[in-house]
Amino acid sequence: MLQKSKKNPVSAMAMTAFALLLALAPVATSVYTVHVISVAMISYLCVLSVYVLLGLCGQNSFAQAGLWGVGAYLAGNILLKTGGGTLTAFVVAIAGTALLAFVLGFAFFRLKQYYFTFASIGLMTILNGVFMNWEPFSGGAVGMKNIPTFTFFGWQATTEQSKFYIVLVVCIVATVLIGLLFRSSLGRAFMAIRDNEMTADSMGINSLLTKSIAFAISGALCGAAGALHASLSGYLSYQSFTYNQSTIYLIMIMIGGTISPAGALIGTCVITILQEGFRSLQDYMQLIYGVGVILLMIFQPEGILGGGKALYERICERRKKAKAGSR
Amino acid sequence: MNAFANAEKKPKLVLVDVCKNFGGVTAAQDIQLEIYSGEVVGLIGPNGAGKTTLINLITGVYPVSRGKILFDGREITHQPTYKRALEGIGRTFQHPHLLDRCDVLTNGITGSDMAARKRGIQKVDLAKELPRLLACAGLEGINLSDPVSKLAYGQQKLLEVVRVLLSQPQILLLDEPAAGLNNREAEYVSALIQYATEKGIGVLLIEHSMELVMSVCDRITVLNFGTQIATGTPEQIQSNPEVIRAYLGGGDSDAEN
Ligand SMILES: Nc1ncnc2c1ncn2[C@@H]1O[C@H](COP(=O)(O)OP(=O)(O)OP(=O)(O)O)[C@@H](O)[C@H]1O
Ligand SMILES: [Mg+2]
Repeated sequence: MLQKSKKNPVSAMAMTAFALLLALAPVATSVYTVHVISVAMISYLCVLSVYVLLGLCGQNSFAQAGLWGVGAYLAGNILLKTGGGTLTAFVVAIAGTALLAFVLGFAFFRLKQYYFTFASIGLMTILNGVFMNWEPFSGGAVGMKNIPTFTFFGWQATTEQSKFYIVLVVCIVATVLIGLLFRSSLGRAFMAIRDNEMTADSMGINSLLTKSIAFAISGALCGAAGALHASLSGYLSYQSFTYNQSTIYLIMIMIGGTISPAGALIGTCVITILQEGFRSLQDYMQLIYGVGVILLMIFQPEGILGGGKALYERICERRKKAKAGSR
Repeated sequence: MNAFANAEKKPKLVLVDVCKNFGGVTAAQDIQLEIYSGEVVGLIGPNGAGKTTLINLITGVYPVSRGKILFDGREITHQPTYKRALEGIGRTFQHPHLLDRCDVLTNGITGSDMAARKRGIQKVDLAKELPRLLACAGLEGINLSDPVSKLAYGQQKLLEVVRVLLSQPQILLLDEPAAGLNNREAEYVSALIQYATEKGIGVLLIEHSMELVMSVCDRITVLNFGTQIATGTPEQIQSNPEVIRAYLGGGDSDAEN
């Protein structure tokens, strides 16, 4: 009677198939495409961070690109200045960003309701200013150059293909971990806060602490994405870590849907394909996003995934009826 | 269990002179209340008498204006809501407060998750207890993977009681669990209350349905404009003239019998 783990079997299977297909990409496509997919996968991690914070815990942040930047510069500093290796850079980027998010979360979530969102806009602005001006940490306006690529125990990832696989592995691990989070009591505490904070309180959930943990987990994901970005591109500029970029992550999850990590994946794919496939329309991109998001929110507020799920359920129901009818 | 058997025992929850004002409105005036393990205390009164407010004071949703709240002899007057819940004070809401984007099963599990947050209690055996409670609530037929929004209003209210029982509270505060339920569903409420008392949980029952209150309560306390106008056994309350005047409809023979 009690099958805990049967959540979204379709979506989990589809995501596994997608990951397998993706693993073949380096064999089948150009080096440029491989690079584009690697960059998109890094975006996916940031969108996954939005899934945890918004989709699971109901808290909306415009600071995710800033946290991504924190992770990137932390990793860059480790790799360039301390001589630490890729693994050290990774651990520091993830732990450092998570810690920062946790501490800030503890301050911000004292504000009720949507004031956290306001605070996150302030945070984004401050972080961008720090990246632009704090030269010892970020290289200031010049940025950070010549960051070494991924190196593990003497082996160096020099080709786009090998870098691709490293990013892919991190994405898969992150997705599996977030899947486990979804099924854990912590994940359910997030959802309780999302659905009804009064109920959450009445069930013994410390909402301030729990929301801060959600923000910290989203920070860890952004930190990982930042470390990947530093080694993949070898160059960091404050112009990557902007309010605009945070908004794009939100658009991605809105388009894909917030109900499962698959929504983050779909949204990232759609936007990446739009960006790459219609380069000539670059000037109109913002307009297309804007109109697209508005239409989607009116007609399918749960995003593509929500629409697909509703359709799937309708088909199942119709089949059931047809079966009952034929008897 | 009756009031006499409580004489040597210590009450689980005690309210001492609890007061609450909202601007000019007195929603609670010097409330005295004791709830023992395993008994059912009824809290009745006309609309706006301050019943829900009292639950919100006990759970810490509102701070008290004056007075003390003791749980197991310890003062909890200034603890935040979630800590009181961890102490063992469970509640339901007048209108169902479920996790409405989650399915039935997840709603049940979030109740039993309490054990993960609270040291010293054993997690309930969900595979055994959930079906038992669902049967008790007349919900054995529902699909566990359905979103709760698919359930009828009454079913949602019953599921909320199931969820709070899965969190193994020691005191259970029920805010009009039978309001909006049909007769058959109201019987499930009695069954769930019986389940609670068998587990030794002390229940505070707010209810407008006199039939339910008179049949399950060991003691009843009556509120009117935030003031306790009477406390006693169901029989005493039914024949108390002040109560009849204030609440039972001034000599309406229906209520007296
Ligand atoms: N948050 C609040 N702010 C201001 N006044 C409030 C608040 N909550 C309750 N009140 C007032 O306190 C009084 C008691 O309200 P309460 O909801 O406790 O009544 P009740 O006995 O539960 O009534 P009902 O049977 O209708 O549920 C009412 O006059 C109400 O207007
Ligand atoms: Mg009420």
